[in-house]
Amino acid sequence: MSDITKDFNTEHMVINMGPSHPVTHGTVKFLTTLDGETIVDLKVDIGYLHRGFEKMCENGTWQQVIPYTDRLNYVSPLINNVGYALAVEKLIGIDVPERCKYIRVIASELSRICDHLTNIAAGGLELGAFSAFLYFVEARDIIWDLIEMLCGARVTANYVRIGGLKNDLPDNFKEKTLEVFKKVRSLWADVDKLLTKNRIFIDRVKDIAAMPPDEAIAYGFTGPCLRSCGVPYDVRKAQPYLVYDRMDFEIPIGETGDNFDRYLVRMEEITQSLSIVEQAFDQIPPGPINVDMPQYRWQSKDDVYNRIDSLIFHFKTVIEGIKPPPGEIYSAVEGANGELGFYLVSDGSGKPYKIKVRPPCFALTAAMPRMMKGRFIADIVPTFDMINMIGGECDR
Amino acid sequence: MNKMTDIDQKKCHPMVGVPIEKLRPKQVRKNLELTLWESLYIFEIIRGMYITTRHFVLNMIGFVFKPKGQKRRIFTVYYPEEKVTIPAAYRGRPVLVTWKNGKEKCVACGLCEKICPANAIMIVAEERDGSDRYPSAYTLDMSRCVYCGYCEEVCPKEAIVMSAEYQGLAERDRSKMIYSKEQLLRSEESVKDRIEYIRRIYSKCSY
Amino acid sequence: MLADMIESIAKILFIFGMNIGFFAPVLGWVERKQSAVMQDRIGANRADIFGFTVIGLFHSIADAIKVLTKEDFIPTGANKFFHTAAPFISLVPAIVTFCVIPFGGRYTLFGHDVNLVISDLDVGLLFIFAFSSLATYGAVLGGWSSNNNWSLIGGLRASAQMLSYEVAMGLTIIGVLMVYGSLKLTEIGVMQENFFRWGIFMQPLGFVLFLTCAIAENKRAPFDVPEAESEIVAGYFTEYSGMKFVMFWMGEFLEIVTISGIVTTLFFGAWHLPFITDQMLLSFFQFAGSNGASILAMLVNIATFFIKVIFFIWMQMTIRWTLPRFRYDQVMKLCWKMILPLSLINIFITGLVFLR
Repeated sequence: MSDITKDFNTEHMVINMGPSHPVTHGTVKFLTTLDGETIVDLKVDIGYLHRGFEKMCENGTWQQVIPYTDRLNYVSPLINNVGYALAVEKLIGIDVPERCKYIRVIASELSRICDHLTNIAAGGLELGAFSAFLYFVEARDIIWDLIEMLCGARVTANYVRIGGLKNDLPDNFKEKTLEVFKKVRSLWADVDKLLTKNRIFIDRVKDIAAMPPDEAIAYGFTGPCLRSCGVPYDVRKAQPYLVYDRMDFEIPIGETGDNFDRYLVRMEEITQSLSIVEQAFDQIPPGPINVDMPQYRWQSKDDVYNRIDSLIFHFKTVIEGIKPPPGEIYSAVEGANGELGFYLVSDGSGKPYKIKVRPPCFALTAAMPRMMKGRFIADIVPTFDMINMIGGECDR
Repeated sequence: MNKMTDIDQKKCHPMVGVPIEKLRPKQVRKNLELTLWESLYIFEIIRGMYITTRHFVLNMIGFVFKPKGQKRRIFTVYYPEEKVTIPAAYRGRPVLVTWKNGKEKCVACGLCEKICPANAIMIVAEERDGSDRYPSAYTLDMSRCVYCGYCEEVCPKEAIVMSAEYQGLAERDRSKMIYSKEQLLRSEESVKDRIEYIRRIYSKCSY
Repeated sequence: MLADMIESIAKILFIFGMNIGFFAPVLGWVERKQSAVMQDRIGANRADIFGFTVIGLFHSIADAIKVLTKEDFIPTGANKFFHTAAPFISLVPAIVTFCVIPFGGRYTLFGHDVNLVISDLDVGLLFIFAFSSLATYGAVLGGWSSNNNWSLIGGLRASAQMLSYEVAMGLTIIGVLMVYGSLKLTEIGVMQENFFRWGIFMQPLGFVLFLTCAIAENKRAPFDVPEAESEIVAGYFTEYSGMKFVMFWMGEFLEIVTISGIVTTLFFGAWHLPFITDQMLLSFFQFAGSNGASILAMLVNIATFFIKVIFFIWMQMTIRWTLPRFRYDQVMKLCWKMILPLSLINIFITGLVFLR
């Protein structure tokens, strides 16, 4: 045997996975060095979707950033909206009305469900389970119908405003949501039956790319990938924002941090999020959704149409932008992939001095070489899906 | 210092630093070992085939016996023949609203131009008969527009609204996507629903 | 002599018409529509002729026109000869193997003995194995000659997988041979006239193992690692386009039909209806005279056979759209560590029971 390996001179094969490859949803390149099917070395090459988000924000007013945040994690845009709005509100120091908080929770959780559905669906697709993919995409689509009802667009939501929301919940939104959830739950059960106990699927994901918790924390893991390692860290519980402290939900945690745990954590989080939305509907109080502070939230149309002082002030806030006090702030929300942080610096003018986003999947993507060395090339598929790198967020 | 000991007494999670009873972790990986039944592949395969076949049969039945209020059980819409129902909140192509006499409501104040996050709008203001301000040119570059709806939200005159038009937004040639004022004008009647909707959602009751 | 020739030509035309004229285009349509309805979609239905779409059937014609007019692309640095030969090598065995599968019994028509199989070889099963192993060359050569790293990986995976499953498939079938004592497919078919002598009752384990091996041999999901589109783009036919791509694709579909035919012949009573013997069928159609009875019985048997074949095609397609894909090493593990021992056990048990 040893003679053969000595005489039989084989070279490693260097091969580009991406930037345009079926596995790289979002544009990313893996420079893999293969020894047969085994990965000897893997380099992740990101940045193909870099649009200069952070620099772009510095050229607009504080409000103009909100449509840009839709394009960060385009699978769950509402969470980005909420995260940015919360950060600016923290910088200003205003507190939004109760109803607004509940609606923001509903919106974020709907987005989170969409994100997890998409992620698991894509995982199924890439492993060849095409039916599971389409069942979850159907579930996502009917949730997108809800989001469209709520904010007028399916993906580019632009729903949350600094100091409030664009609009209140539409009529019959609760009934429609509960109706949709019934269908989502049945599709969830179908996919659960198709995948969770299926040995082919389990063989593909179990014990692949396992991360010990300390190493995961060292890499900066957050979100489902960290929870799958057994660390119950969830921004919604650890530093409750909005009204998450009033919601009754659990943090699903895994054991080994492999892909199967990531899958199970996400499946469980879908059900938790569904129940959070239902609880929010039960608890939601009536009342206003915007702060009545013309210097931060654009005024109501009634005032703008009818009162000259309001009209003048409206012009002022739109053209100059709102002016948060000088200072800097870091505020984080639990994005679908993990901790989505916004670091804002204000110099007191109408435009942000600096906006830095902490994308959760940047840290996760950085751990790809650590997770993949010595594995098979086919293992890239479930791993890269389960860490759920979103190009728009990672590259910004 | 006092605070630190408080946290310690409550038995924090060593890595998160928050009391465990507050975090409420739930172990999701309960069955690490597959039973012999499950590890034989075949029974799980049959169960999976049962699910997909059930979907198949139900959908086929749905073609014949149509569910209430739907054309078929499959939720796909045959697009050009059938149209999707658009919610009131839907943001389609931004259009300029005219008065009954055909003159545009826009007074060329420039708020939409200023707030547009994509810099898609360009206005040239002029005065008509020495008093009426109006846009002599209102150019909307639809290849830049991101349909965020800010122009509608800031407009003090209800002059630009996001209509429900979603067809014909794409062109083969980018130069055709730069719309002039004349291409954007719509009568007040045709966008009545939207104007009512924005009056409702941006009204005083939300503040 | 003339009657023999007419008979042979008629049978050949029938089988080829059935395979290439009916199954190959219709299976493309079935795969699209079945998977679509299964997954709550509608599927391709836009190709029309004068406004008629015939629920998407015209897409097969549209596809045919498209692939025939497509540029025949050979990448730089590819071995032209093998790159062109590979699709033929993988298509021809798929067509040829069907000629030893009987699609009906033996009838006497106008004093002439009609045997509904194109070539009633004594070594029918071996012929099938011999030719299906030739298809391996198509995949391997296609992968190697494309001068593409993904194709090369796909070709290597294909060669390893198909060779391994060749071995396992041969062993799974030995149980059947022991039960019926023949390699001749017509004889095996005749012996399954009694419902309780069907192969599925004699060899339940052998059936499952054989079907698994056959699907793996055909590189269909869940064993489609040589062409796993999410891992290695499209595997060995990454660099193929137009008619050559369709030849791979048609070879795959015809292989499905062949597998279904073999499974029907070996395990599901070939052309027999359950509980009804050929004699009962003939006496049932006695009202049509002796020749008419033969013709009617023949038609019933052919219909029975093809309904069974269609059922198994359906089953394979359902499996394909339900299951995720194995990983390459797991496919090999399944073959060598699970199917091979199980088939040996199967042979052992069969030997104990039947060869006392």
